[in-house]
Amino acid sequence: MLVKAPPKRPERAGAAAATPTMVADRWALVEQGPARPGQIAPLEAWLESPAGAGVWVEGDAPVEDVAPRLIEAPVVAVRFAAFADGRGLTFGKLLRTRYDFGGELRAFGEIVPDLTEYMYRCGFDAFVLANRRQAQAAIACIQRMSDHYQGSFRQPLPAYRRFAEQPQGAVARHS
Amino acid sequence: MYQYNAFDQRFVEERVEQYRDQTNRFLAGELNENQFQQLRLRNGLYVQRLAPMLRIAVPYGTFTATQLRTLAAIARDYDKGYGHLSTRQNMQVNWPQLEAVPDILARLAAVQMHCIQTSGSCIRNVTADQFAGVAADEVVDARPYCEIIRQWSTYHPEFDWLPRKFKIAVNGATTDRAATHVHDIGIRVRLDDDGARRFDFLVGGGLGRTPVVGKVIREGLPEQHLLSYLEAILRVYNRYGRRDNKYKARIKILVRAMTPGKFREQVDAEWEHLRGGPAQLPVSEVERIRAHFEHPPYEQLPDEAAFLAVERLQNRSFNAWMRHNVAPHRRSGYAIVTLSTKATGVPPGDVTDEQMDAVASWSERFGFGEIRISHEQNLVLPDVRQRDLKTLFDLACEAMLGQANAGLLTDMICCPGGDFCALANAKSIPIAEAIQRRFDNYDYLHDLGPIDLNISGCMNACGHHHVGHIGILGVDKRGEEFYQVSIGGNQADDASLGRILGPSFSRADVPDVIGRILDVYVEKRSDGEIFLDTVRRIGVEPFKQRVYSTQATVHAGSSRPKTVAARLHTGGGPPAPRIEKTVRAG
Repeated sequence: MLVKAPPKRPERAGAAAATPTMVADRWALVEQGPARPGQIAPLEAWLESPAGAGVWVEGDAPVEDVAPRLIEAPVVAVRFAAFADGRGLTFGKLLRTRYDFGGELRAFGEIVPDLTEYMYRCGFDAFVLANRRQAQAAIACIQRMSDHYQGSFRQPLPAYRRFAEQPQGAVARHS
Repeated sequence: MYQYNAFDQRFVEERVEQYRDQTNRFLAGELNENQFQQLRLRNGLYVQRLAPMLRIAVPYGTFTATQLRTLAAIARDYDKGYGHLSTRQNMQVNWPQLEAVPDILARLAAVQMHCIQTSGSCIRNVTADQFAGVAADEVVDARPYCEIIRQWSTYHPEFDWLPRKFKIAVNGATTDRAATHVHDIGIRVRLDDDGARRFDFLVGGGLGRTPVVGKVIREGLPEQHLLSYLEAILRVYNRYGRRDNKYKARIKILVRAMTPGKFREQVDAEWEHLRGGPAQLPVSEVERIRAHFEHPPYEQLPDEAAFLAVERLQNRSFNAWMRHNVAPHRRSGYAIVTLSTKATGVPPGDVTDEQMDAVASWSERFGFGEIRISHEQNLVLPDVRQRDLKTLFDLACEAMLGQANAGLLTDMICCPGGDFCALANAKSIPIAEAIQRRFDNYDYLHDLGPIDLNISGCMNACGHHHVGHIGILGVDKRGEEFYQVSIGGNQADDASLGRILGPSFSRADVPDVIGRILDVYVEKRSDGEIFLDTVRRIGVEPFKQRVYSTQATVHAGSSRPKTVAARLHTGGGPPAPRIEKTVRAG
């Protein structure tokens, strides 16, 4: 089941987070090439025939080497080999911020709903969940925390940079 | 100290509901054991030998009287009336029911506390010198930087799913009380000749199965680059740290495999992309955080040394307490007091709910309502008026918190061990107790002077045995508990790792082994030489000979010397292979 988040919008203070939704997947992920239009193919097959196709890579792929080509793809899917393996987060973050990838950035593999929040903040906007229930949980997880301390792909400014604009710098004392 | 603003408060409240939802989904079968394990660990919840254990974050070991009273209430309502101070300056409670944890979190959130990232493969509670902000030898207050790093590392989008746990310590005093040498990242703050704050980074230190002293990879980094440089280190680690073997997943293994020079090159290359970018730390933010740590309204007080001298002459135990448990304060007329949890017969680091309530009220009566936890598992009152010291001492003695043993042999660091922990190979608390019972003569302890004795129940080294002047490690040999003893470790500025004496000992023999080690020290020390320096001067050999001798009698800590050699397990076959491995790793 595919969950898709709307693309990043220009930042506005206090802007409500755009809601991710379940959508029909128009791409088919394939384990082997040759790559055909409408398919998400492994890297080597895609490099040979990229036309109309998406590409998938492992989370530990060397982003510096592959990014210059990948940024042409309409969709880049990153495989998370294990639930707690955070390498794909760095891959996504760098592909988005250092190489300005503007297409769909998709997470697949061992995706637990609670991890999609981190992926979303690193620049992923599509998530492949095991079933409808997991997809619903992922949508809730992405939206549960309303803000975070550090900057991210979605909100490049750290929270403290936004305090000045909002009346929330007031000290909440406990007695 | 740091006070939450509306943002911080909303954050912990949303976190409570997030964790409640995770617990509910686990109980409903929507998250399996493995999935929930990762999530509950990031909330400090372990499933232990007897029941769950919840580790509550006490950021850089600093909290208020109100917060301590809340912990006392939680210990009463959910534990059996006590909490355990950990070497990461946190507090642990045992026996909370898994279903009750969201409610505990809600009670914590109401007093600006949480359990976020107190476990799991993520950036853990940042630790600091327990005397930060008040120590006479302080150069830069480390607490504002700890808070900046705490906020930066909380739910970091990219660095919450690392190869392994990640520990950061910050020290800003002349003496390193934060053990920066044995952290994944140790940061030292200092002032340069122009009075600007500069940061030195040590990377790849750590204990565990492969103890390593950290290597300096960057010196004199200006303040605005603190977070971007951390980001560069964490990114290199997240990408290249090993994930195939959890015993080789810490950053120290990566630094060693790459060599510190190459690792530094990688970090610098990554940092080139980041410096000057959005991660740059503005002065205004440092000042915003620093304002939280402004000094409390101190009174103008005279130094009370003369007044205290009279009390000290009249009361020997008060005198000893003043000498060992009271540290100089940066303000005249004030003192820093270490309340030792190391009473004989009490597991090191354990405090009862009544003790917590008492300490909370003392912190208000004698100071400004602030308390610290030291990584040596003691409580610290940072601002005590010198003229109140005797009153506080008397109250502390009544509450079993007045032991005059801070920094002495019986002020041991000790993990919970096999009595509680599912990982442990051996029990550690009974060892601590046996040593405390054996060496309970204060005159003898004071004559011995400063000795760090650290005990771990397994190679994960939660009791920091590698950096104890004397280290004790519990090992499992064919289902039986044995103890390996090392000497010469040190956690402070000139950090070193202890050397193992040889084959391990049975539990009953450990006090005598310690006694023999102390005998050698007492015989060989030169004037005023502390234990560690004697070991460094004469080497391990004389200690080894005495410990494994079949002839020697033990004098230390015993009114009657006795021969124990026959019970030592020196000829009992070769040590288990895993012990040999540890020797090589060191």
